[in-house]
Amino acid sequence: MTPEAQFILFGLNGLVWGLIIALIALGLSLVFGLIEIINIAHGDLFMLGAVLAWYMIQWTGNFWVALAAAPLAVGLLGMLIERGVLRPIEHKPIITILATFGLSLIFQQSVLATFGGAPQRIEEPIGGLIPLVGTFYPVYRVFVAGCALVALAGLWLLLYKTRYGMWMRAVRQDREMAVALGIASDQVYMLTFGLGAALAALGGVLAAPVTSLEFQMGLDVLPTAFIVVIIGGLGSLQGTLVAAVLLGVLEGLANVFVTPTTARIFSLLFMAVVLLVRPQGIFGKRP
Amino acid sequence: MARPAPGGRLRAIQIAGGVVLLFLCAAPYLLGTYFRVFVTEMLIWGLFAMAFDIIYGYTGMLSFGQSTFFGAGAYAVGLTLVHAGSGVWLALGAALLVSLVLAAVIGYFAVKVSGHYFVIITVVFSLVFFRLTLQYKAVTGGDDGLSFQIPALNVGPLALSFYNPVVNYYFVFAVVLLSFLVCFLVMQSPWGRIFVSIRENEHRARLIGYNVERYKLLAFMLSGLFAGVAGALYALTFRYSNAALLHWTVSGQGVLWAIVGGAGTLVGPFLGTGLMVSFTDYIGFWFENYQILVGAVIILMVIVAPRGILGVLMGEGGKGGTSGGR
Repeated sequence: MTPEAQFILFGLNGLVWGLIIALIALGLSLVFGLIEIINIAHGDLFMLGAVLAWYMIQWTGNFWVALAAAPLAVGLLGMLIERGVLRPIEHKPIITILATFGLSLIFQQSVLATFGGAPQRIEEPIGGLIPLVGTFYPVYRVFVAGCALVALAGLWLLLYKTRYGMWMRAVRQDREMAVALGIASDQVYMLTFGLGAALAALGGVLAAPVTSLEFQMGLDVLPTAFIVVIIGGLGSLQGTLVAAVLLGVLEGLANVFVTPTTARIFSLLFMAVVLLVRPQGIFGKRP
Repeated sequence: MARPAPGGRLRAIQIAGGVVLLFLCAAPYLLGTYFRVFVTEMLIWGLFAMAFDIIYGYTGMLSFGQSTFFGAGAYAVGLTLVHAGSGVWLALGAALLVSLVLAAVIGYFAVKVSGHYFVIITVVFSLVFFRLTLQYKAVTGGDDGLSFQIPALNVGPLALSFYNPVVNYYFVFAVVLLSFLVCFLVMQSPWGRIFVSIRENEHRARLIGYNVERYKLLAFMLSGLFAGVAGALYALTFRYSNAALLHWTVSGQGVLWAIVGGAGTLVGPFLGTGLMVSFTDYIGFWFENYQILVGAVIILMVIVAPRGILGVLMGEGGKGGTSGGR
């Protein structure tokens, strides 16, 4: 393989991964922007999506069932979490961080207890390779990118073209005013949390065939999602998307030259600089 | 935090504390090998939780980055012993210096942001150092860790061996007690009061004329220093250090212990560590995935008693307490 081809392939892998991260980060950003809580368990919702998909494929043998059902199940779980855990503590920021830390332990250990500690794989549901720059690229990864883009477009439509989306944006802007106008903010919170969880799980199902599944796979994804949300600017969905793709491609390309660990250290330092110099993010507006 | 509690309860808690202290003084002679190591470890993690509480319970900043200083303390001891071939005292001095300097550098940047951003930036810094530790495997041993020998500790004419568990225990106990007393004095001093005023109302503290950032940095450095001491004690006790000690989930344990015990106090973190470590150890015997229950306990605690066990004992377990309210 020529160096140019390698460069392109790594860049493409980065792009696909960046789009998956965008799904997860948008879920995080929705919740963070609306309820202003840090959900430590968000990475584990991603993991649950992937692991549930694995189970569903074991039972039904069908990836497509899993692709639809796993995010739905995790979305419902997210709504339960909001209702049962976060609402009783009134979304108090620090207490919420602790509660979601507890949830994270519960999810990881439950999966460890049932799924086991050994990494598992899911086969790519779409085989085949596309010829590209003198080598081949898996069709499934192209499908992942397309699927993520469709989901993102759906999210945009939901937020900006439906009544529910308008409620969400209203509660986010000014909760009291929204409540005064008759918006059921409790339901909006619950649905938003569920939507955020479902997005993370969708990322998990899509990522499952290109990575290995284990109970701690969310631990690594969580900081990445936070990096993207912060760099993109809190509450800026476009910013989150751009930052995710940018980070994915840059880390992908960096893998050509340095170890993944070094690449990650650089993105972490970059995020620290953004936090200090421009806490509203690169694309965010001043709060 | 000195909060007026019903006198009888306070007295009962003080008496219970005295009994525990007496027990700890005689522990090596009362306990078998297993529980001696167990109590030693509890003291070390208790110190770590207390160090965290300086920054969180007293100053009101939630940090998930204190594991960096714990790891730094442990590695400072290990690397000094391996490479400098020097004594325990120098290794301890190195641990103090390294954790203090590291806390000063990280804190200098971290205290510039507050709220959620502070939480995130502490996680970011701890991940950077975690990754660096993994990266430079030749020095740190990475995931496999670093094992080392502990030379005898020279105290005057005595040469005490850390391989003697009684010596090990009393050394740890003495250092933890000393750290506790130092923290106690600091928290009684104007510094401690200013920390609390920042926690209660940062804006007002600033308007009164305190340089809030400077005191936040001070609290961060104190916290980092004692986390480093805990790390050093860990290294001396287990003669081992590895990259996993620096992971932010280790900080998460400290956060948990401090809050379960009662944040905003110095005793609470020890109480929380003692109870939680005993709890996990006990149920760990018959339930492999005991961490599920730990998670459930955390959630139950924050819903039912956000002020921790000490808060409940003092009769302030209800919701809406200051530390729990943030």
